[in-house]
Parts: sequence; C-alpha cells; structure tokens
Amino acid sequence: MTTYLLRRLLLMIPTLIGITFLVFMLVALSPGGIGAAVQAQAGGSFQANSQVAVEAARLEDRYGLSDPKVIQYLRWLGRISPIKFGQRDQVLPNADLIRPPKRIPEPPLWRWFADALPGAEPGPLVEPAGTQADRSLQYRQLSREYSEARFDAIAANRLLDSRAVAYAREAGIEGAVTEQNRADFDVIDSHIPDKSLPAWADLEAAGKRAVAAYAKAAGLQVRFKAYYDTTPFDEAGVGIIPGVLSLAAPDFGVAYSNSRPVLDQILECLPVTIMLNLVAIPIIYLVAIPSGILAGVRRGSLFDVGLGSVYIALYSFPVVLAGVLCVGFLASKDYANMFPVAGINAQDARSFAFLPGYVAGEFQRGWLLDRMWHIGLPVLCLTYTGFAVLSKQTRAAMLENLNADYVRTAKAKGVAAKDVVFHHVLRNSLLPLITIFVTVFPAMLAGSVIVERIFTIPGMGTLLLQAINNRDLELILANTVMIAVVNLTALLVADVLYALADPRVTYD
Amino acid sequence: MPPTTLSSATPPRQTVTGVQLMQGIGVAPAQGFWPDAWSQVLRRRAAVAGLVWIGIIAFFAVFAPVIANGHPYVFRAADAAGVETTRYPLLQFLSALDVLLLFIGAVGVPLALLLPVSKRSRRFKWLLCAFFCALVAIVVASVIQSAVGSRDAAPFFRSMRGKGWAPFAATGMGVALTALIVSLLPVAASLPRRLVFIGVGGAVAMACVCLTWNRPRLESFDYHRRVAEGTAQATFAPISFSPQQRFSELSRRKPGTVLPDPVAQPRAGAPVHRFQLGTDAFGADVLSQLLHACRLSISIGLVSTGIALMIGVTMGALMGYFGGWVDLVLFRVVEIFMAVPVLFLLIVAVAVIEPEYRTTYTMMAIIGCFSWTGMARFTRSEFLKLRNQDFVQSARAVGLPLRSVLFKHMLPNGVAPVLVDASFAIAAAITIEAVLSYLGLGPIDQASWGKLLASAVSSEGEFKWWLAVFPGVAIFLTVLSYNLVGESLRDAIDPKLKKARV
Repeated sequence: MTTYLLRRLLLMIPTLIGITFLVFMLVALSPGGIGAAVQAQAGGSFQANSQVAVEAARLEDRYGLSDPKVIQYLRWLGRISPIKFGQRDQVLPNADLIRPPKRIPEPPLWRWFADALPGAEPGPLVEPAGTQADRSLQYRQLSREYSEARFDAIAANRLLDSRAVAYAREAGIEGAVTEQNRADFDVIDSHIPDKSLPAWADLEAAGKRAVAAYAKAAGLQVRFKAYYDTTPFDEAGVGIIPGVLSLAAPDFGVAYSNSRPVLDQILECLPVTIMLNLVAIPIIYLVAIPSGILAGVRRGSLFDVGLGSVYIALYSFPVVLAGVLCVGFLASKDYANMFPVAGINAQDARSFAFLPGYVAGEFQRGWLLDRMWHIGLPVLCLTYTGFAVLSKQTRAAMLENLNADYVRTAKAKGVAAKDVVFHHVLRNSLLPLITIFVTVFPAMLAGSVIVERIFTIPGMGTLLLQAINNRDLELILANTVMIAVVNLTALLVADVLYALADPRVTYD
Repeated sequence: MPPTTLSSATPPRQTVTGVQLMQGIGVAPAQGFWPDAWSQVLRRRAAVAGLVWIGIIAFFAVFAPVIANGHPYVFRAADAAGVETTRYPLLQFLSALDVLLLFIGAVGVPLALLLPVSKRSRRFKWLLCAFFCALVAIVVASVIQSAVGSRDAAPFFRSMRGKGWAPFAATGMGVALTALIVSLLPVAASLPRRLVFIGVGGAVAMACVCLTWNRPRLESFDYHRRVAEGTAQATFAPISFSPQQRFSELSRRKPGTVLPDPVAQPRAGAPVHRFQLGTDAFGADVLSQLLHACRLSISIGLVSTGIALMIGVTMGALMGYFGGWVDLVLFRVVEIFMAVPVLFLLIVAVAVIEPEYRTTYTMMAIIGCFSWTGMARFTRSEFLKLRNQDFVQSARAVGLPLRSVLFKHMLPNGVAPVLVDASFAIAAAITIEAVLSYLGLGPIDQASWGKLLASAVSSEGEFKWWLAVFPGVAIFLTVLSYNLVGESLRDAIDPKLKKARV
C-alpha cells in the first residue's frame, strides 16, 4: 500500500508539470501574450517613448517576458518547486521573500557609442547593521536605489530602441524593425553606423544615455549583490548542499494585476469552494443512495421508471440555466426575493452570534443560519446533477447483487427480505459508489466555477475568471496547480478508500 | 461496415415447433449489429421523442434563414427617378453556407428519401459524404473570402479583389483541401468513389460560392420603415427580423411588443411586426435568434464531438494496441488533460483567444481538442481486450498494414461504447457552449442560446424571464434529447440486457 501511495504521489509530479506547461503555453502563445491586459490597462497605444512604452518595458524586465517561453516556464517551475538550486532566497523580518538581484541588461549597440562598456563602480560597500530591523531598513534603502537605477537603465534601453527604429527606417536597413515596431539590434549592428543621417544625433544621445545609465545601475547592482551575499537575513528553507541545493516552500509569486501575493488570494478563495463542495457532496450521497436502493429493489415499478425519468431530466438541466432561474425567480427583487443574490454571508455577519437567538429581544439568525441561507441556492445548483449519476450506479450495483447466488441462498434459508436487502445486498453494493466519486468530484469543481460566477461567491472559480480576464499568468498557473492538486488528491483518496473498504482489492 | 453480426431473432409471432424453426420457418432474418441496436432504440418512446426534437432543431438549423429574416422575400420600391424596381433582398443576403444547407435540405434529403436506387441508409451515407466535401470547401472559401475583403489583406489576396475568377479560385482551394482530407480518412471504400464525392461536393460548393460571392457586406434593414412610410411594398418572412437586426430603443421588451412605427401617421393597412418572444438587451428579436441559434447548437455538438472522436479513438487505439511504453507515455498525456476539470482548460483556452477570432469554428476546434480523454480511455480498454483475439492476430499475421489492423479490423468491434459516450459528449458540448457563452466567451459571429441566457440578468440585477426561459428550455430539451438517445443506445448495446431480451 505504501509503495502504491508513493508511486501515485510521484506520478502526480509529471502530471502537474504537464498541466501547468499546457496552461502556460496556452496563455503565453496567445495573441497579446502574458500580462496583455495589464499592458492594455496602462493606456493601450504604444507610442515609442511614451510613458506607456516605458511602463511596458519595465513590466517586461520585471517578469522577464522577453526571454524564450520555455525559459520563462522553467523559471516559474523553479520558483514553485520545493527543491531549489543555486543561491538561497532570504526572508525579511516581515516574511517577504527576497532574491539575489538580477544582472543589468547591457545596452544594445553600445559599441557604437563607447569604446568599452564601463565597468561596475560599486563605491563603498555597505556593512550589515546589528539588528534585523536596522538591516531591513538598510536593505530597503539599497533596494530602492538599485531598482530606481535599474528602471532608468531599462527606460534608457527602451528609448534607444525607439531611436534605433527611426534610424533604421531612415538608413533603409532591411529587416531591422520587427512586427511589434521594435528594433532588431543584431541586424542593425551588422551595418556600419552612418553618422551623416539626421536620426544619428538622436540615436547617439540615446545611446550615450543608455551606457551611462548602465554604468550607474551596474555599480549599484554590485553593491546590492554584495550586501545580499553577506546573508543579512535568515535564509529560506533548508539547505542540503550549501549554495547548490536546498529545500524551500513553493513560492507562488505576486499577481500581475493587483500586486498581491498569489498564495494569499488563493488561501482566501480555496476554503470557500471546498466548503461549497463539502456541503454538496454529502447531500448528493444522502439523496441518491436511498433512492437508488429503492429503485433497484422495486425494479420496473412506477417508482423506478419515474425516478429514472426525473433524474435524467435533472441531469440534462444545465447548471447555468438552473442558476439563472434561481437568481431570477427566487432571489431577485422582481419576483420572490426570498434569498440573497450575492456573497456567502451578510455584510455584518461577523457581529452575529454563531447560533440563532434573540439579541435585545429581536430575533437574529446568527452566523450559521446566515451562511446556510446564503449558500442554499448555490448548493442546490451544485447537487442536483450528481443525483442521476450516483443513483443510477447504486441501482445497477443493487441489481447485480440481487441476482447473485448468495442472495438466493439467503432467501432460501428464510432470511427476512429486509435483512437480505440491507445486510447482504446493500453492503456489497456500496463499494462501487466510492469510485463514482472520481467522476462526480471534478464535475462539481467545474460546476462551482459557474455557480460562483452566477451567485457572485468569492471562490476559486471567481478568482480564476478574474485572473483570465487580466491574463494574469501567475494567478492562472497557481490556480491550475491548486485545482489540480485538490482534484488529484481527491481521486487518490477515493482509490485508497476503495482498497480499505474492499478487502479483495489490493494495490500491491 | 457491419461489425460482428449478433443474430438476435425477433420473437416469432405464431407458435412454431422446434422442427419448423430448424427448417427455417418462423425465423426472422438476422439483422446486423447496428440495425439491431437502432431498432432497439426506436422501440423506446423517450428516444423517439428525443430524435424528433433533434429533427426539429435540425430543420430550423437549415431553414431558419428563410423563416426568420429581416430582409423581405420581395421588395418593391421606387427610386429617386420614380422608376419602380423589384428586388429580392433575402436571396441577395444568403451566405454560401445558407445556400448549401437549403439546397441539401430542400433537394438532397428528399432525393435521398425517395430515389429507388439502393438502400436508404446507403443513400444517406452518400449524401452525407458529398455534403461533408461541399461543407469543407465552402468553409475554406468563406475564410478566403473574408481574408480577401479584410483591410490588411496579404498582397496575394488583395490581387483577388474584384476578379471574376476569385470565387472559383477560393472554392478550388477548398476542394483541394477536402480532397486531401478525404484521401487521408478511411471514409469511402474505393478511390473512384471518393473522387465522385469530391467532384459532386466540389461542384455544389462552387455553385454556392459563386452565387453568393458578391453578397453585400453591409446589411441595413430599413425595409420596415420604408414600408410603414408607404414608399415601398414588401413581402416579409413569417418572422420578419434577423438576429443581427437591432432596435436599440427597444431593449429588453416583453413578448408581444409591436414594432412602433417611426412615422407619426402610419399608413392604414401597413403590416404589424411583433416581437413574439420579446427582445434582448440590444433590442434584437428573441424568436429569430432562437431559430438561428439552432444551427450553432446542432453543429457545435456534432463537429466538436467528431474532432474529439478522431483524436480520442486514435490515441486510445494506439495505447490499447501497443501497450507497454507507448501506453505509459500516452496515458500520461490523457492524465494531464484529466488533472483539472475540462471546463477550466476550456475557459483558459477560449479566453486567451482575441475576441475577433472567437468564431464558431475555433470554438468547435477548441472544445473538440480538449474533451477527447474519455473516448481515448474507452477505446483503450476495448482495444486491450481485443488485441489478443484470434482475428486480430491473424490480421497481423497476414501482414496487413497497421492502419488496416487498427481501423478496419479492431475499431468496428470496439467502437460501440465509444459511440454511446459520443452521444453524451454531444450533449456535454452543447452545455459547454452555453456555459462559455454565459461567461461572455461564446462565439461572436453567431446567435446562441447561451448568449441570450446570459443577458437575462442585467448588470443592475434586473431579471427578464423571457430571456431565460425560452433559450433555457431550448438548451434543456436539446441536451435531454441527446441524453435520452444515448441512454437508449447504451441499453441497446449492453450485452447483459441483451441476454435478458432474447
């Protein structure tokens, strides 16, 4: 059993890598690409040296969007993986993760403007101060200086880029301007600079500025790196081989769209979705199994046929439609107005007592009842499609066992009909129902996306839709990982339960 | 391609003795596997009702453009010089696909029903093959047509503008592509027959495209106004609105709203146009949209399931037949797709497409490419069972090519459970389309039931019941129909139940 569990858990790793790679590529290769919506929010039009273009260049630098897609994916994988290579991250006193600073990108075409790229002049290095709080202040100061300089260097490079485009157009260099209106520096560099062109002056000014900005940023980077290398803060995780291999908690990063840590957002939303499903699943089992048993025992009766028809109708009833009808007829002000339209609790639910009671002589429904009132309709929409699948399986399993030899023997011995059904047949029929969980659970996870959207519930589905609308790759990938982990774990648990319940099944 | 013929005789009507039975008296002729399964399905009232509903939807999918259209059949108006001209706007505005469907529906199906050449099922198979060829050619041609017309057209397409040979070239490319597909797929037995299908389909497609190539791109609907003013006469279709015809001042009106006459003094006897099922948020007629959306509903289910079937069966066949490391690797791929619910993947895949590319065709392709895992698993388990059977061993021993062993010998014997799954997959695809449309990710170029449903609750929280109930009932009944047919089919091919029946 342990071997089996271990193998299943290990097989989850390639599956997780595969699914995240698929999702990553879907988003990354889409027109517009990663963070397209964030860039579009910044203004939309890409005037060469406008604020928007500089902002886009900064985003591109921050998330490394100009690297090949596979490298970007591997970088993400490196962050998410609990096994880390190379220099370890450090943890600030307020639990923020910090990383060693990245290299400053060299200004393109620098040979045209300077004889040699200026070396980094770090200036006086900063010694880590005594207490953690002081170091934190020091770190923030250094970090601010460094990122400002880096930003300057990036902006200067971007300006150089747009000037190079103008220059290349004037010089008539074939293939020097890409479709995104950016300069292809390899092509330009292979030509001899034509200093007689009117655009040359602008280009040279931008180039000189870029080289200067690079020199300053590179110096600050060295200083910052030196400070980081003294390990002023606790290192994240556990080291295995110093400087090479370490174990650390996965880092889900920070969302593009709202700059909040992704993990925080998921930890807010995941419990809501899981709560909805944990309420809905027992209801499905409680309704479907007894009705399935009854239908199996009274095979061919009016009840059996009627139940079958009702269930297939319910199964065919789209969740979207049920949700819209529920909101429209039961919750909206125009009709019944019996249920709340949105959320999982009233606004002031935190001040409620847990159980219903009388507060100052007035009835107050309490937190629990309020929650139930809010999730009533969503849970209804989540449950009804599951009835058909589960009840049909129960009925089929009952029928199979009712025809078995041991049942005939039991009947022949004179065992009461009730005992035959409940002691002999039922116990053997319940086993396949555990595996049905495998089909019901993913469907319910998917169903909760729609239900959450219709009833405006702040769960994983809402988070995912939001992330997709913003093309927020960090959030989408983290969502995928979470949903996949929940889903795969649920399937694994179902398999293990099956083995525990049925002594005939072993996985060894 | 009849698979294993399980001869299940229908019970004899009069009593016959065993000797008579052995002499062949009173024994019904044995049916093939599929005809038998089909007659089982037709014996179920629920399945027949489902088939009838699907038939109704299919009817409207074909004939919606002539039943519900804002362009009148005949339009008679005097121009500035006072010369009265007669136009046929409805015909003018039909697309190539409309013409093809109308032709098949009005000519092809009756011919296939009535012609006394060979068996009816075979005639329908021929019709379907020719239709498929023409359809692919027309779809390719219409893509080329839109490429020619687009503002940033490539120089090659730009040169086609306004040329007389353009429609022929476009359809020609379509036919060439169809020929390529047909030569790869093992649909019709012999090459000459395939060539005939391509020829007939290509000719029909050519006619449809050429007839509609100069279709005006800009549609303006001022017929209602002109008729009301009395400056023109028109004969309208029974439902005189197009789905894309919007009356912005009549947003979300209740069923039965009358189109108000724009002039203060309407002419006596001017026709009254009623929005029988109300209007949606943009002021477009709901009934017209419902009818036009039938086409999307039928096609998205069939095409996306067809794509899924092709991918799934191929993957499953390879996994089941080879086993070993092929199985191990390919099953990991299946597992990757199953790691998250399909809907999640679909939402991501559809949402990352720019809205202007989110057409019906891309939606079909995406839904098909992400929902094949179930079919792959079914096929795999069937092929695992079949691979060691004698007929497969002998087919291999004879030295038949892999394609023949997999798809000619093994597939017909293992395809039944997959096909049952397919009928549920069609229902699922329709639901998925509704969900995606509800989330605002539906196809942009087509009226859709899901889109109507999504507009039922406005952003201010107002609920209009006719926008939820009518499309909702349509979705529900269609999904139910496919599920009922699937259930009956499953019971019909279930060997356990078969034993009980004989």
